[in-house]
Amino acid sequence: MIKFINVSKIYPPDVKALDGVSLHIKPGEFISIVGQSGTGKTTLIKALIGEEKVTSGKVVVGGWDITNIGQSEVPFLRRQIGVIFQDFKLLPKKTLFENIAFALQVCGHTPKKIRNIVPQVIKIVGLESKSDRYPQEISGGEAQRAAIARALAHGPKILLADEPTGNLDSINAEEIIELLLKINKWGTTVVLVTHNREIVNKLKKRVVTIEDGRIVSDRAVGKYIL
Amino acid sequence: MFILSFLRIIKFSFQDIGRNIWLSIVTVTILVLALFSVNMLLTVDVITKAAVNSIKEKIDINLYLKPDASEDEIAALKADISNISQVKEIQYISRSEALESFRLKHKNNPEVLDALRELGKNPLTPILVIKSNDIDKYDELIVELNKIDNDIVESRNFEDHKEILAKINNVSDKINKAGVVVSLIFIIISVLVVFNAIRVAIYTHRKEIGIMKLVGASNAFVKAPFLISGVIYAIAGTLIVIAIFYPFLTILQPYLETFFVNYDINIVSYYNVNFIKIFGLQFLGAALINVFASFTALSRYSRV
Repeated sequence: MIKFINVSKIYPPDVKALDGVSLHIKPGEFISIVGQSGTGKTTLIKALIGEEKVTSGKVVVGGWDITNIGQSEVPFLRRQIGVIFQDFKLLPKKTLFENIAFALQVCGHTPKKIRNIVPQVIKIVGLESKSDRYPQEISGGEAQRAAIARALAHGPKILLADEPTGNLDSINAEEIIELLLKINKWGTTVVLVTHNREIVNKLKKRVVTIEDGRIVSDRAVGKYIL
Repeated sequence: MFILSFLRIIKFSFQDIGRNIWLSIVTVTILVLALFSVNMLLTVDVITKAAVNSIKEKIDINLYLKPDASEDEIAALKADISNISQVKEIQYISRSEALESFRLKHKNNPEVLDALRELGKNPLTPILVIKSNDIDKYDELIVELNKIDNDIVESRNFEDHKEILAKINNVSDKINKAGVVVSLIFIIISVLVVFNAIRVAIYTHRKEIGIMKLVGASNAFVKAPFLISGVIYAIAGTLIVIAIFYPFLTILQPYLETFFVNYDINIVSYYNVNFIKIFGLQFLGAALINVFASFTALSRYSRV
């Protein structure tokens, strides 16, 4: 599903964010990528969504070599990958329904299809009663669930979660992880980037540890070892 | 698919304007102020030109004839002069009419009237008053009039007119040049202010632009609503300026008529006649500035 083959990323003048990273993520996997701040976790995510180009090596997503992806192709890549972030990244001037619908509108889906899909993903994340609220009118946990709903709208094969629980209390954090596990059970590959030791240890899933831009540990049922 | 996307872009533009209403109001207000200033400059220019032309219109050339010239000779000369291409109008003032006009002009000056009475006869000569059809062709007309070889012409001293014309042309040129310089300075300031207002508007949207791109919006889909918003601002700005400026002109018109008595200056009808040209160009200018500012700001703030 996702392949990093000997990938390096050097920011000018000579800051190595990724150093010879090779990683293979299989379809339907739930993988946690852990590591301290500034070790290259976010660079890995950015390389996957075409926000950063790697300096050397090869990045393949679903058989598509995106190493040298063109600017005009990036939107098509992003429509195939769901992404959620610590700060939710919801459009503040749109309601939750509109935020989710927007992700479909930009791909040219018909209003009928949008009216069909949006309530479904809203139901999956349990926000049926709050779909007409604006992001600032809901809690952090609800905002993250809305972001997940938006990420699911395209029916992506991959869901990238970059510190999704970073801004949430433990109860909301656990709910979000439960939701990610549920989505993973339906067949979506989930890549979770996190600092949260407790969550990683509880998951009992594959854990990849990155340190100074290198993979120092990759365990099928791992723990947070740093 | 294309029509659906285009309609969505229009919808997003209006949504964006409505949901950022204060920023939109500020942008349109700055645009209105800029356009209002441009119209003020245009009005001043039109009034100045009309005033200068009215003054020029009042200038005529007097051809003084011999007192004993017969009516037939004068009529023949008048016909000859009428054939000169630069002549717009030629009026014959007989000796008695000239005397009557002289008396009327000096009715409050008994010394002049007494002197006239003591003379015992009409000292004035018949006159042909000639007006040019083009104020800028006075020189050519004077050359033509100097060519006339007719014994009944007593005097043809046109130097005074040349001097007045030179002075008026000089003043007119200076006003025009100053107008162009002031207009240019003002237009440059307006362009910079509007340009910056749009850039600030887009800068405040940079987070949203980033989110749009993250969910897979194409560059065109992200940029187009801002470009369309720029055009909508231009339409709104032009319409508001029309709504404000016409009442202003209507209020100004009576003052102009009082100030320029006997001169034909109608600023409202000037705007009516040139409506499409004036406001069409202003809309195009405003739209181009807005779109250019949007495009520049977007290239800078939409890299995600």
